[in-house]
Amino acid sequence: MTELTVPVPGDRHGPRFGLRALAAVWIGKCAGLALRLLGREGTHVPGRIALWVCPDLLSSIARPDTVIVVTGTNGKTTTTNLLADALGTLGKRVSSNRAGSNLRDGIVATLIGGVSLTGRCRNDVAVLEMDERSALRVLPQLAPDILVCTNLTRDSIKRNAHPEFIAWVLSSALSPTTALVLNSDDLITASLGSDSNNRVFYGVDPTGDESREPSGSAVDAAICPRCDEPLEWLFWRFNHIGSVRCRACGFASEKPDTRVSPIDSTTGLRSLVINSESVSVRLANESLVNVYNVAAVAATLDLLRVALGTIGSVVESLTPPPSRFADEMVGGVRLVRLLTKGLVGVAVSRAFAHILSVPGRKVVLLAVDETTDRFDGVENTAWTYDADYEYLADPSISAIYVGGVRRHDQALRLAMAGVDPARIVLNESETRGADVVPLEGVDAIFNLHSNHNAAATGDVVHGKLRTRLMEKIS
Amino acid sequence: MTLTIEMLFPEIANLYGDNANIDFLSRCLPKASIVRTGLNETPAFASGKVDLVYLGPLTERGQLRAIKRLIPHRDRINQLIESGTHFLFTHNAMEILGSRITNAEMDYDEAGVGIFDFSTEVGMFERYTGKVMGAFEGVSQPIVGYKSQFSMVSSSPEIPGFMTTTRGIGRNPTTHVEGVRRHNFIGTSLIGPVLLMNPHLAQWLLSSLVLSPTPEIALRDMAVAAYDARLREFHDDRTWSSFERVSS
Repeated sequence: MTELTVPVPGDRHGPRFGLRALAAVWIGKCAGLALRLLGREGTHVPGRIALWVCPDLLSSIARPDTVIVVTGTNGKTTTTNLLADALGTLGKRVSSNRAGSNLRDGIVATLIGGVSLTGRCRNDVAVLEMDERSALRVLPQLAPDILVCTNLTRDSIKRNAHPEFIAWVLSSALSPTTALVLNSDDLITASLGSDSNNRVFYGVDPTGDESREPSGSAVDAAICPRCDEPLEWLFWRFNHIGSVRCRACGFASEKPDTRVSPIDSTTGLRSLVINSESVSVRLANESLVNVYNVAAVAATLDLLRVALGTIGSVVESLTPPPSRFADEMVGGVRLVRLLTKGLVGVAVSRAFAHILSVPGRKVVLLAVDETTDRFDGVENTAWTYDADYEYLADPSISAIYVGGVRRHDQALRLAMAGVDPARIVLNESETRGADVVPLEGVDAIFNLHSNHNAAATGDVVHGKLRTRLMEKIS
Repeated sequence: MTLTIEMLFPEIANLYGDNANIDFLSRCLPKASIVRTGLNETPAFASGKVDLVYLGPLTERGQLRAIKRLIPHRDRINQLIESGTHFLFTHNAMEILGSRITNAEMDYDEAGVGIFDFSTEVGMFERYTGKVMGAFEGVSQPIVGYKSQFSMVSSSPEIPGFMTTTRGIGRNPTTHVEGVRRHNFIGTSLIGPVLLMNPHLAQWLLSSLVLSPTPEIALRDMAVAAYDARLREFHDDRTWSSFERVSS
């Protein structure tokens, strides 16, 4: 096991905490109290104000003995919550920004919440979710003891560019004393850090059903980082997630120190293997995404020298927070609501792949425009060609109802993916499809919407479909 | 006659969905041969006849890899451009054919392939995103598209551009001249992908490739409907931000 670098008491956590920092903490606390009294949100505001008073507060505020930062493109919120829950279960006093901002201001606000009015830290450990792009504004000053990175896949083209850029940002900001917990099934994540960093890896064992040929629009690790020759995939899951080797030079994916086996169909158990020792676990959520998150938590607990048996018990007790996902049978039809975050091709591809995995004859209502991105500068629709709409060309999908401002772009993208244009129905209204979609001869209806239109479109479409399906059986 | 389209280094030049440009051409030209040349392979254009050479968006390190692979073919590329072979380089692919690429944050200053006399400065913390609308001499309808990039190209105004912007910035925020054009070489920093977003440009390119004034445009009605909707939006002043303009 890699040794965790333990911070020296009284070094980073004490002497530099001067009057200015204390004043910043007080002012930050007052700001937080004022917001709560006013019933306002804005979890980052106390941090922003405190940083205005003391710009180096992140390095001078009293912190718990162990500071863990969780980052990555997908799964960082859930992993943060699971890890905070796990440490809480182990009796630790945990400070975490689970309900707050994951930018620098929010992280500072969380740390302020964890210190007393005299400036003393009240918690044992901080588990802080961090936006990847904030790394340069957070990591050099915070110098966490552990950084967990779940994965680095394509994200917003406008903000995140490409995963290699994000990996560079993270590596540029890392302290050599930070121990890294990295996903070995993600070649880009696994490249983070340098020889100075203690690095441990986690992964999820292949089931044997995975492909060995990558497909789709976004495979960001296709060539060997050493010799540029094409990589051979031992198994491939999605995007660049899987395990590789290079026949030319011998390069290969890192071997995971912590790994989770496929589920045993007879017992419903998985093996959690850490450094060749194994314990059987039953997980509350068997989705691949959750298994990766649990593996990250287990690897982190191992780094904190928690015993394997205890880790096994703790991960069995973890329940992922409710997802933005609903799946119910109404009038004999499966009604599925999926938050499908536009702008992020990878997330959209996962949602489309899920539709394909559901059996039966299906229809899809699609309203994933991201026109609100204009309010944050400029909307850029290139992301649709970074998403695998090809999943929707499957003959089991009899019709796709597309609504919204970008319906013509969406229709063109669907047709380019091989969807028969005769199966594409366009409506200016994002909710109109719910009024007209035929309910006979359909096994499943999918309601796909984004974050910004979750209420205006997602709720309305779900309600209309539910009402129509209930009327059908009454 | 079978047309040959060569797609360079698709294993690394595949960002931002731009390779849909080739998917679209492939649908318009179902008999065309699409050659996908890997990074460690010799380009087909080096010794054979290719009708269109395409390179899509790369990471910053990918740009350096591509430069290394194409420098040995500099004379051949020049020869093909001068003889009228079609090239389409989108987003930052065009930059590798310039004289230099400088990236202070990533600490490099590298010579480009040297086909064009322009240089590129990459600013890893200065990503520009904006819309573009402008005129291309080959078609009467405006070209529309998006930029989302770390880099800006500097060159003398004498180097002809792909288009002249009427809204949005060109090669950099001080010029309306966008991209590069020499004979049938088109380099543009637009992403989108540009041919699907501009079916009239696709028609011009296809006409030029197949020597027909009325080439078959796949999904034409759908592409034109999307284009028309975007053009209406781009004609609306309210959709433009202050940073999407050329500074004097």
